[in-house]
Amino acid sequence: MVEPKIKAPHLRAPTAETVLPLSRVRTIMKSSMDTGLITNEVLFLMTKCSELFVQHLAREAYAASCSKETSDTLKYEHLSQLVNKSSNLEFLLQIVPEKIRVHTFQEMLRLNRSGTTSDDDDDDSESESESESDE
Amino acid sequence: MVERIEDLNLPNAVIARLIKEALPDGANVSKEARAAIARAASVFAIFVTSSSTALAHKQNHKTITAKDIMQTLTELDFESFVPSLSQDLEVYRKVVKDKKDSKASKKDASGAADATASGSGATEEAN
Repeated sequence: MVEPKIKAPHLRAPTAETVLPLSRVRTIMKSSMDTGLITNEVLFLMTKCSELFVQHLAREAYAASCSKETSDTLKYEHLSQLVNKSSNLEFLLQIVPEKIRVHTFQEMLRLNRSGTTSDDDDDDSESESESESDE
Repeated sequence: MVERIEDLNLPNAVIARLIKEALPDGANVSKEARAAIARAASVFAIFVTSSSTALAHKQNHKTITAKDIMQTLTELDFESFVPSLSQDLEVYRKVVKDKKDSKASKKDASGAADATASGSGATEEAN
């Protein structure tokens, strides 16, 4: 297995240019209920920081995938695994959920039904709708 | 306000470019993974915005400042972003200042001044 060559994030030159469109980031920021005035400086900073986040996510997920597999393709599974194990990505658990196969899930459901309390049934019905939309 | 839900998506091509930049040459990204990263970035922006807003409100400020965002990032465990962002912000402030200065000195040549300001801004240290 080849050690992945990850580009160092700190070698990047600081710029006043953004790659992501500022107007779109403004719309996104405004969608948050109580956001007041957004200064140009704050808008710039949020855009930059979203860019950094995209690259951070890609880099980390790719590094994790390369240590396990020989494939050089970053897949959804790598992302959901990363989200699952990183505490600072906890807010993405609902956004990038781990995929589960319908039959695996039905198996889980069956095992759960046959010998657990009714408390678990609540969780089941919730995740059931999720898995159906996934597959 | 947001009219369509797609307005919250970040442009696919730009996301693809950013990802490509971050990964070593020859690396591929599945469509699904790219879509997930784009979605995650939108949510991240909303998350940081609302956390910063909460922080600003706690200090009785109505609008969020650059400092609020930096502090929020540290609190959310993304302090690794702060050094690069501070550098970007310094450059940005310088560019904005230069723009203002050149506009004040010669109103008609603002277009040419903008180009030189952003060109030199990337290499020079602010302040």
